[in-house]
Amino acid sequence: MNILEVKELGKDFGGLTALQGVHLSIEAGRIFGLIGPNGAGKSTAFNCIAGVYAPTRGEIRFNGEVINGQKPWNLCKKGLARTFQIVKPFASKTVLYNVMVGSFLHTNSTREARRRALEVLEFLHFAGKAHMRAGDLTIADRKRLEIARALATRPKLLLLDEVMAGLRPAEVDQMVEIIRRLRDQGITIFVIEHIMRAIMALSDRVAVLHFGKKIAEGTPQEVASDERVIKAYLGEEYVVSGS
Amino acid sequence: MTRRHYNKMAAAIVLILAFGLPLVVRSATYLHILVLLYFYAYLTTSWNLVGGFAGVLPLGHAAFVGIGAYTSTILYLQYGISPWIGMLVGGVLASFVGVLIGLPTFKMRGAYFALATLAFAEGIRVMVENIDRLGPFVLNGPRGLQIPPLKLGLGNLVFASKEPYYYIILLMLLAVLALTWVIARSKLGYYLNAGGEEPDAAMALGVNVARSKLTAMAMSSFLTALAGAFYAQFTLYIHPKSVISLDLSFEIAFIALIGGRGSIAGPVLGALLLRPVSDFSRIYFGDTLPGLHLVIFGVVLILVMIFQPRGLQEPLTRAYNRLLDRLAPGQTKELGT
Amino acid sequence: MLFLIEDAINGILMGSIYGLTALGLTVIFGVLKVINFAHGSLLMVSMYAAYWTVALTGWHPYLALVIVAPAMFVFGYYLQDIVIKPIFKAEQDVREPITVIIVTTGVWYILDNLTLLLFGPQYRTLQDNPLRGRMLEIGQMLISVPKLWGFAAAVLTASGLYLFFQKTRLGRAVRATSLDRQAASLMGINQYKVYNIAFGIGTATAGIAAVTLVPFYNVFPTVGVLFDIKGFIIVVLGGLGSIGGALLGGIIIGLIESVGPQFMTATWTEAIVYGLFLLVLFVKPSGLFGVRYDW
Repeated sequence: MNILEVKELGKDFGGLTALQGVHLSIEAGRIFGLIGPNGAGKSTAFNCIAGVYAPTRGEIRFNGEVINGQKPWNLCKKGLARTFQIVKPFASKTVLYNVMVGSFLHTNSTREARRRALEVLEFLHFAGKAHMRAGDLTIADRKRLEIARALATRPKLLLLDEVMAGLRPAEVDQMVEIIRRLRDQGITIFVIEHIMRAIMALSDRVAVLHFGKKIAEGTPQEVASDERVIKAYLGEEYVVSGS
Repeated sequence: MTRRHYNKMAAAIVLILAFGLPLVVRSATYLHILVLLYFYAYLTTSWNLVGGFAGVLPLGHAAFVGIGAYTSTILYLQYGISPWIGMLVGGVLASFVGVLIGLPTFKMRGAYFALATLAFAEGIRVMVENIDRLGPFVLNGPRGLQIPPLKLGLGNLVFASKEPYYYIILLMLLAVLALTWVIARSKLGYYLNAGGEEPDAAMALGVNVARSKLTAMAMSSFLTALAGAFYAQFTLYIHPKSVISLDLSFEIAFIALIGGRGSIAGPVLGALLLRPVSDFSRIYFGDTLPGLHLVIFGVVLILVMIFQPRGLQEPLTRAYNRLLDRLAPGQTKELGT
Repeated sequence: MLFLIEDAINGILMGSIYGLTALGLTVIFGVLKVINFAHGSLLMVSMYAAYWTVALTGWHPYLALVIVAPAMFVFGYYLQDIVIKPIFKAEQDVREPITVIIVTTGVWYILDNLTLLLFGPQYRTLQDNPLRGRMLEIGQMLISVPKLWGFAAAVLTASGLYLFFQKTRLGRAVRATSLDRQAASLMGINQYKVYNIAFGIGTATAGIAAVTLVPFYNVFPTVGVLFDIKGFIIVVLGGLGSIGGALLGGIIIGLIESVGPQFMTATWTEAIVYGLFLLVLFVKPSGLFGVRYDW
């Protein structure tokens, strides 16, 4: 069953077309990767799905329901959570407080919210830093906090916006490990990433955006050997000299 | 003894002092000053619900004081309705106005909200100043309304001495502090703080930021109006310049900001520190140097914002924690938010 | 009917002066993205400066401009540099530095009450100045001459600002900073210096407004509050950050205030102004001529 179904998605900003005719379908329980060079429209697609922008054209279905232009907080209640590329912690608050904001989605009790938040932190091996101020965390930990908060809302589909950008190789490996464990929990993962290496190792399926259009989709191996993808990433010359 | 014990002890001492004070302070003038001090602490604490937790800047809370004061007074004078009931009616009216201002502005940049609250408070003052009658209700324009102290007693909220007023406003202050404490630890408190600090992130976590701000605004304006009704019964005379003035709006905001917005102790602390400044500068320099205390407030505000943006409660809380460290060493400090 | 036209003309003239007083507000918001709540107080200070210049020298009231406008530029420049800049630096990554608004309200209070301490609460007027009460007769209509000059000053100042931001190098640097302060500073533009200049320009326009007001308007410590509140309403009506919008917003307010009393009591005119304000906030929060912001 497809948990997310995107049809003919298009988005214009003024006269500029950022996205055109994009189709995506994500099967439940899988990790789906979206890649593309800078300015390819990844973030725009992401923000349309996450409810930040209302799409100009097309249809987005989540769990069979059309969610075009719904507000982010309603999407979150339906089970669609996201992280931010530029992390946005509640900096003056503790890590636990940050995660509790997420876990309050399904409870009105502070005690219950705290219990669930601690569970999430435990799961991410993050409990040791529960009482640190979020503003004092390292970049890697801030990215982890983004995931922890989103996870606390108990999502069915988790959108990860470049959670590996800016991390050191060892940290990237840890993050890959975390994302796999999330998938094993039954959460569908939609990850967009600028770096190819991690996403290729991680994803069950990958789609490639270029100039606002989808130019390829398939298993990581298929995509990696696709000529158009290589062109898009490395430029015309590489293909010419390589072939 | 643990830190918890010390905290409880400190709270008990403060409470005993507050309740016992009228037994020692017999002077009506000083009691009057104390009543006003609690009145301001109550106002700044109510202001803090939206100005502190929700991370926006209301600059027109005098409008709600005025709505409360005028509603209860008009109902009392013209219809003989008990000020206690008038108080609640005023509260409902005020939260309606508060929501009306918040509804369009909470979706926009914070500056719009600050601007709209200020403009509206001024608008309401100008209207009241220029209207003698509003339908069946007598407002008396700039001359204001006087409450003849004929029927004394708790039901009419009119007393011959200051002590009953003292205890009523003290209880009101404690109630609003308790409410703030509860809210800070509740879902609403978490949502307000989150929405105030990073609205985009909060929304992505399922927080309807504008709606939680509206809830806070409704509560804050309701509570503020209650104090307005109390003030009318305490001074027995209200006029637009006393209960709807810009000075009052600013004093509420400034005291809360200097004390430390977003914390429970901050606004009360601000009132404790700053109210004496304004009372004494008014008593001693009121004729020769009018407005001196407002200049002082302004300067203190700017200095605090530059050097201690979280308010004076922060260094004081730190000092208190250090003191506890000495009294009860080796214990991890209780986690605040 | 003639009365109505006369009122309308005078309303447009006075409204354009309201717009002139609000220009600085919109310029400063356009660049710094904060509302300068002390703007009315800066206007008040300018009015005192103009008043004393004329009262002490006996010059023609409009000659005060050569002193007041540059003096206010310097005042605004250093106000931003000394008082507001530290806050901006401390809250660099805050999306909307609300503390800056707080500080400007502090400045408002200091200036208003300091003026009260220094000059007392009394109203001051330039008694025998050549413009006082001067009327232009057109047929049976009477048009106030100082307001006519005020209208000219408003249009000239607005066009001047527009040209400055569109055509000059410095103006473009200021606009670039307002669009993206990080990027601008990467391009070698000193962000804080641009803020100082924008604040100086905004304050200088308050100086221009003050000079046109002083010949026919009373000067007193809280005169700024009146214009402040009007200014807020005007910039919201016209769209925060829009120069033309400020002028048109001012004219709308002026028209309501002058034509309204023909049909109702003045209080209800006031109510209409606030009603319109609320309506715009609900229906088109970006203002009648404003650009849509990312809220």
